[in-house]
Amino acid sequence: MTRPVRTPAGIRPALAVALVLTLAAGASAAWAGRDWYAAAHDDSAAYAVQRDEALAAGEQAVQNLNTLDHKRVEQGLDLWESSTTGALHEQLVEGRKEFTGQVRAARTVTTARVLSGAVTELDDRAGRARLLVALRITVTTPDSKSTDKDSRMLGELTRTDGHWKLSALGQAPVGGTAVG
Amino acid sequence: MTRLLRRTTTARSTEPATDGGEAPEQPEETAVATTRTPAVATTRTPAVAAAEAPGDAAPEAPGGATTLVEGEPEATDGDAEVPVRSFPATWQKAALVSAVAALLLAGSAFFHGAHQLTSTSSARNHALTDAGATARVGGDVGEGLARIFSYTPASDDAVERSAGTVLAGRAARQYADLFAQVRAKLVEQRITLSTQTVRTGVIELDEDSARLLVFLDQTSRRDDARQDEPTATSAAAQLTVTAKFQGERWLIVDIKAR
Repeated sequence: MTRPVRTPAGIRPALAVALVLTLAAGASAAWAGRDWYAAAHDDSAAYAVQRDEALAAGEQAVQNLNTLDHKRVEQGLDLWESSTTGALHEQLVEGRKEFTGQVRAARTVTTARVLSGAVTELDDRAGRARLLVALRITVTTPDSKSTDKDSRMLGELTRTDGHWKLSALGQAPVGGTAVG
Repeated sequence: MTRLLRRTTTARSTEPATDGGEAPEQPEETAVATTRTPAVATTRTPAVAAAEAPGDAAPEAPGGATTLVEGEPEATDGDAEVPVRSFPATWQKAALVSAVAALLLAGSAFFHGAHQLTSTSSARNHALTDAGATARVGGDVGEGLARIFSYTPASDDAVERSAGTVLAGRAARQYADLFAQVRAKLVEQRITLSTQTVRTGVIELDEDSARLLVFLDQTSRRDDARQDEPTATSAAAQLTVTAKFQGERWLIVDIKAR
């Protein structure tokens, strides 16, 4: 009865347009999906994220370990211990008492500023990295005289529980043999 | 949409049978609308209002009119057919519209996600992720620095000549100024400078530009004729270096002492 009213000619083009739209939308979704999949499963992107996390954590840890206020030695050394792991951590824990005494006696305030840092090696599976840090250390003595000293350090980072922490730290030797 | 529905119901309010027949369609519409995500619903409303105006209201209003004219027995016959026919049509439309909307949403979500993943500063920095390029820029810059900061009285021109192949831009000008200042002293005191690159770290690297942190050792020896042993002093230097890839190698364009 209503058949002549609903003309097929009026529906078919609309349906065709709708199908074409659906196909186009589907194609663009598939294309974008493939891009996203490739980006999300890109190993080098994950590696790059690890590199940047290691650098940020490493620079912060190096700065922490070169900062100490004789008035707040305990908090300072707590921060040292939380920034480190492995052999370096044990070393700090062992020497804590003696060191606290030394700093309190010297009554110095040491602050550090990282000038530049770079990761030189990264093994993201083993969770190990090495970094270079150039920093400026300012030591203020009880008579409020402050001296700046530029320092260059080599650090080794180990990932523990998803966080990068310093497992070794030392001055880059001067006048030694050149190593890449 | 509500205005359209209201108009069709008022048009058919004269006939109770059609009204009852149309009733199931209204819950259908609202049910579809509520099950959709809010994002879809907002994008859909204007489109549906435009699309359904000719599709639903126009053909069915004359349909209702004809049943009115043709009389009671025909109307019930037509009523039985109208819901059956219009159900799949609305369903199809709704399904299509929501499919297109869902696909477009998914597509843009993927696009946005992919863009976010690839445009992060981490992903754009190829330091270490591109091991070959990292080693290459480190090698070129380290070797270049060692060469330009080494000096022997015998190789006076050689230093300047090699500077041309290592430096460019601001760094070349800095070096020329520096060298002009110290040259007289170097020649007069017969000083030999030897520079070694101790460590090189690539901070940032992309296709043709890079920033590096370099630790250098510089040893200066004074060839003093009055002493048997030449006196040597070592100094440490920390530099951040900007390099550009030009032609076949990385050239140092800026040097900052750290």
